[in-house]
Order: sequence, then C-alpha cells, then structure tokens
Amino acid sequence: MANTKMVKEQKPQMSTIKGRLSWLWSEYSVIIAFIIIFIAASVLSPRFLDMNNQLNILMQVSIIGIVALGMTIVMLSGGIDLSVGSVLVLVGVVTVLALNATGSIWIALLTAFIVGSFAGFLNGVMVAKGRIASFIATLGMMAAARSIALYIAEGGSISGEVSGFTAIANNNLWIFDYPILIFLIMTILVYILMHKTRFGRHVYAIGSNEKAALLSAIRVDRIKIGVYSLAGLLVSIAAIIETSRLNSISSSSSGVQYELDAIAAVIIGGTRMTGGRGKIIGTFFGVLILGILNNMMNLMNVSPHLQGFVKGLIIIIAVVFQKRE
Amino acid sequence: MTKSPFMTMNNIDKSFNGVSVLKKVTFHVAQGEIHALLGENGAGKSTLMNILGGVHPFDNGSIQINGEEVKITNPRAAQEYGISFIHQELNVVSDLRVYENMFLGSEIRTRYGFLKVDEMCQKTNEILAKLGVDIDPKEYVRNLETSYKQLIEISKALLHKSKLIIMDEPTTSLAEHEVKRLFGLMNNLKQSGVSIIYISHKLKEIKEVCDRYTVLRDGELVGNGSMEEENLDTITKLMVGKSISQERLIQDHTFGSEVLEVNNLSSPGCFSNISFTLKKGEIAGFTGLAGDGRTELFESLFGYRKTYTGEIKINNQLIKIDHPRKAVKAGLGLVPKDRKENAIIKDLSVIHNMSLSSIGHFERVGFIQDKLEKERFQYYKEKLNIKVHNPRITIDKLSGGNQQKVIIAKWLEVDTDIIIFDNPTQGIDIGAKQEIYHQIVSLAEQGKAVIILSSEAPEILKICHQIYVMFQGEITARFKGEEVTEDEIMSYATGSKREAK
Repeated sequence: MANTKMVKEQKPQMSTIKGRLSWLWSEYSVIIAFIIIFIAASVLSPRFLDMNNQLNILMQVSIIGIVALGMTIVMLSGGIDLSVGSVLVLVGVVTVLALNATGSIWIALLTAFIVGSFAGFLNGVMVAKGRIASFIATLGMMAAARSIALYIAEGGSISGEVSGFTAIANNNLWIFDYPILIFLIMTILVYILMHKTRFGRHVYAIGSNEKAALLSAIRVDRIKIGVYSLAGLLVSIAAIIETSRLNSISSSSSGVQYELDAIAAVIIGGTRMTGGRGKIIGTFFGVLILGILNNMMNLMNVSPHLQGFVKGLIIIIAVVFQKRE
Repeated sequence: MTKSPFMTMNNIDKSFNGVSVLKKVTFHVAQGEIHALLGENGAGKSTLMNILGGVHPFDNGSIQINGEEVKITNPRAAQEYGISFIHQELNVVSDLRVYENMFLGSEIRTRYGFLKVDEMCQKTNEILAKLGVDIDPKEYVRNLETSYKQLIEISKALLHKSKLIIMDEPTTSLAEHEVKRLFGLMNNLKQSGVSIIYISHKLKEIKEVCDRYTVLRDGELVGNGSMEEENLDTITKLMVGKSISQERLIQDHTFGSEVLEVNNLSSPGCFSNISFTLKKGEIAGFTGLAGDGRTELFESLFGYRKTYTGEIKINNQLIKIDHPRKAVKAGLGLVPKDRKENAIIKDLSVIHNMSLSSIGHFERVGFIQDKLEKERFQYYKEKLNIKVHNPRITIDKLSGGNQQKVIIAKWLEVDTDIIIFDNPTQGIDIGAKQEIYHQIVSLAEQGKAVIILSSEAPEILKICHQIYVMFQGEITARFKGEEVTEDEIMSYATGSKREAK
C-alpha cells in the first residue's frame, strides 16, 4: 500500500496549466521549436510536406547528425571537439586509399574506424592527461588532420575504384536510404549509451562537477579519453557515408565547417556549453531543425550567401531562450 | 578607557530565515586601538562584521560613527564612512601590478581616459613608505609573498583614508616572520590613529597585539575588557562557555581489529609526520583551526592528492593510493567538505547522486536498471529520513541537510570499511545535524571505522572515541574522547600548548 502511494507521489504534480506549460517548455523546448518550425515550413511552401522532400531532408542531415551525436557526448563532458570536419576528411582519404589498395570493403571500413577513433583518442589524451583545454587540443588536431589529408591527396580529390563501396550510402531499404537508417540507429545506440549505461552517467557527472566526480571514485581521465575516442568513431562512420555517397572525397573542400554545424545542432538541442546538461534527443531535433531551415531556404530560393545569416540568427535565438532557465 | 569610541554598534539584532544569529549585541571600538573580536565558529563574529561592512542589513539596533548615527547599506557606503574589510580570502588580483591593485576601480585618469601611471605609482610609494615597507609599485602581485598581498589590501584601505580596518583571520596563511611584519604594521597604524578589529582564533597572537577584546558566543555578547587585565584561560572559558548539548552520544564498546595504520605521512606545506591507527568500530576525530592541514591529509589518504610521502596500511597491507578509485577498492570512503564543490553533482538527480559511486550494484548485463536504483533509494530515504517528494529532481533543489544525507547514502551504498567525514554538518540545521551524528554512531556500532574532521570541538567531543588535535600540519595532541575538555582542545589547536612528542 505504502509503496503504491509513493509511486503516485513521485509523478510531477502540475496543478496549474501555466505550471504544466512551463515544465513542458523547459524539458522539451527543442521539440516544441521543431514543431513550430515544421508547421511554419509547411505553410510557407506546399512542396515542403512532399514525402520525397522529407526524406531528402533526412538524407541531407544524416552525416552532420552522426557527427553531432559525438559532439553532444563531448560537450556533455564539458569539452568541445573542433577537429571533426578535418578528421572526417582524413578518414575519408585514408579509407579510399585502403579500399583501392586492398580491394576489400571490409578492410576499408576497419581502416576508417581505426583512423577516426585514433584521432579521437589523441584528442582525449591531450585533454585528459596533458590537461590541455579541449578547445586548443582539438584546434591543433583540426589543423593537423586537414593538413595530412591534403598532403596524402596532394590537395585534390581521390576516388574509389572498387564497385560496391558506393552501395553503403546509395542503397535503400524500402523508402529509406541507408544513411538515414544509420543515423537513426546511431541515435538510438548513443541514447542508450548515455542514459542507460554507467559510461553515460559518468560523462554527465564529469561535465557537471569534475572534482566531485573524481572524489566519487570515477576514473575521470579514462572516461574523457573514451568520450573523444567515441566522437572520433562516430566521425569515421560519417566519413564512410560521405565518401561512399559520391565515391570520392575532396581533401580541400569536404568536411569544411562541419564542426560549426554540429556544434550548432547540439546548442539548438539544448545542451549546455559547459557540460553536464543536455539530451541526445535534443541534438536529434536540433539537427532536424537545421535541416528544415536549409531545405526551406532552398525551396524559397533564398540566396545561398544569406543562408549562413539565418543559421547564425537561429543559434543565437536558441541560446537566448535557454538562458532564461 | 579614556579614548572616545570611534565606532559603536548598539543592540544589534539579526536573524536569517527566522534563525536568530545576533541577539542585542553591543560592540564598540575606540580610536587608535586594536580590538580583538573573539568567539567560536558560528558565534556570530562574521555576521557582525558583515553588518558593519555593509554586506548584510541588521534587523534592529543602531550604528554610530564618531557619535553620529549612520546607515551602512552597502560595502561602498562602509568605505565612505572609513571602514575597510580585509577578508580572509584576499581580494587582490595576482596578475596585476601592485599599483594597479591599489587603484583597482578608482584609477586616476587623464581627461581623455588614459591612465596616469606615474601619479598612481607615486601615491602607492607614499603609502608604502608610510607603512615602512619597500616594494616596487610596478611589481606583479603574483611574485610577492602572501603577507605582502595583505599589505596591499591594507594600503588600499589607507588610500581610501580608512579609519577602521577589519581583519578576518589575517594570519592563517602567513609564516612566522610574515606575522611579525604584519604586527609591526598594525602597531604603526595604531600610532597614526587608525582602529583595527582583529578576528582570530590564535589567542597567543591576540595577547601579543591587541589592546582590548570582545567575546561573542551563540550570537550574544558574553564579555569584553582590556587585554592586559585578563589571562588567556579566562578568555577561552568565555568563548567556550557551558555548551548545553555536551552529552556524549557514544558508548564505549570493544573495538575490532586494526583496519588503518598511517606512518609518517608528510606533504610539504600541508602536513608532516602524521601517524595514527584506527580500529573497527572506532570513531576518530581530527580537529584544529582552519588551515591546520587535516583536509589535505585525508584528501591525500583518499588519493585525491598524490604528492605525499610515508606509508599507509589498510588491513595490514601496505598500499599506495594515487586515485580515489584505489582508495575505494582498498576500503576507504570520503564524504568531503564543501558539499557544493566537492560532493554533489548538481545536474544529476537525487537518485543518480546516490548511486554514482556504486553503479555496479544497479546494473544488469551492463545496463542500469532504473527500478533497482529507485528501490534502493527508497530504502535510504526511510533509513536516513531524507525529505524529498520526487527523487528524480536534481539534487541542488534539496536543502543542505538532505543533500548531505544523499551523499552519506551514496557512501553507505559503496559500503567501505572506513568512512571519512570531512566537516559533515557544514551548513545544515540542528535537526539534521543530530540525525547525522546518530547515523555516524550507528555506523561505528556496526563495526565500521569512522574518521571525522571538524573544526567544531563540541561536535568532535560528542561522537569521538579518540581525538587528534592538529596545528599547522602536525598532530599536537591526542586524547581519549571522554577525558578532554573543549578548552584543552582549543589550547592545542591554537598552538599555545604542545604535547612533547
């Protein structure tokens, strides 16, 4: 008896409509914002709701989406990873080389995973063991990884010579292209990792109060290295999709400003810059919001040169709203 | 005293959230005297000084300066009345130069807004010369000794033509020769007609430098007078008084086997030559003044600090602890002081804070089971009387006492043989304090070894079998819990007595 009474008590009690609304807003503001933008978009452009257009949006955000998942973990731990775009290119270039050299797709994939997570591991070691601010450490990695990619590809693009590699990004299951499915699966996996396992719990703890986390006997350094390695691994998955889609990667123009888009999605999704607070589901919708905005501006023929302005505005508005909490 | 009172506080009342902190306190300071303000932690000294410094308003009473009633509503107003407050944590910016610190916020500028560096340096020199010290105004503060930083604050007070300087525990972080220098300076100031209120626990120093004293206890004025006429024992008695709840909560029971042995633990600048042993079922208390090194000692023992020498044996096994995780594995738990900074993870829920250090207890095939966590929390909620309706809210929404209970639950769940409590009742109300004492005692009765660090001697006396007093990083005395008085502890904690070792 007493037990059932307890359970009832624990449900959030919202006596007033106002209270209920403010609770909804604080917990799910990004979803509400998503719905508003979605409705606005469908009113502004009749073509927006078209199924093909919807799938197109998902397809276009899948790469940034996967990168943003890793970025979310890093930012929850209280850090930032500026190297994602450059590491993506480096992974792409090395993967194509491995593919062409061995002719094996599996070896190419393995190479991608190793290169990506190793770059992340190095970031993690610099941050955790070297006590370098994540902004600086990953800024260094950003410059270095891009440079190596440019050197290997001699500044140009390199293309795959093995048929079948393109299938990864261009095949589909029913109406869903593989990249969309990979993005959705990764979202679910990362969600489970962050909310149902001790790794996730420890990341939140470190991001919120590192000293208290250490005094709670959490292996802070190890978790941090894990965080950056995982972000690197997710980047390598994104790199595989990016490379497979066109069967080539450009060492100079691929992955440019991906870090900014990913950080934007994470911030719009409500994750706090200083760590400890945020949700994977928030990032998921943050990514979709950015995708819809891009799509809308294309549908409405907004000059591509102005699209950055709109994106910038949205990020700032998102942060201003979150500040009120 | 023939000197006219420069500043008088009459019948000051003050309460925080309905808890009365000051009751009709009257306090006056004459011109050109050094006045010691004494009392134990929580006696109301800081509140009284914060009222004088314009940090807190008072509820009833009045303040007079030079016989005129004044209203001090903020720190700036206090400064205008000639009152400067030098806090225990010095407010100097290490990365600025001496003169820049002196003029911080009141820089001398030209018509066009540029700084008049030469003029500021010259004025700084004048004041420093007046104080009889020789430092370059252009020196960076980070290159100076701590006492010079204090000096900069004093110079700043003089720059603002202060007539009354409040010094809160100025000597805690000073070496002996620095203390000498400070005292010389204080005497110079006194000669030039400046009054000083001196807050300190170190009675010997007070005897050396102060003219008069005022003692507060539990928010009330219990005595004042001239320093020359009293001896230190009388003053100590006044400070301690007859505590109402001196009653010891522990019964003597037989202890189990030895679980912890510490030999010659030293860490330069923090603590030196610490040796003690601890048995199952025993509660050992470590007490002393702020800065006595006990927190650093046990942070080292717990693996948070790594630069120490000496040996630690747990269950007769020599062990090197360099990470809190190793400490936990070896059987040590730590409820740290300064809950907000060191213990709670404010963005995690109450339940998740409870389970943080023993997450393995709630996992099945690698996944955390919400239901197990919740059930376990219910158990602790009842056992420790944690008041929370919805344990899924973040822990920062709870009161201090309830937060502390959650942290204790966290360590009970880890279930280590030895639990260290650093200042376990910091900032929590009396009811919760009692509950925590009873929890600690029952832990010992269950056979756990417990270590308590506290600067509140009554607390230590209440629940400890064995009491260690620390002073400047060393254990200066060791007592059985029932055979010592608060006065005695005080005299060892202030360094006025030392046990031959």
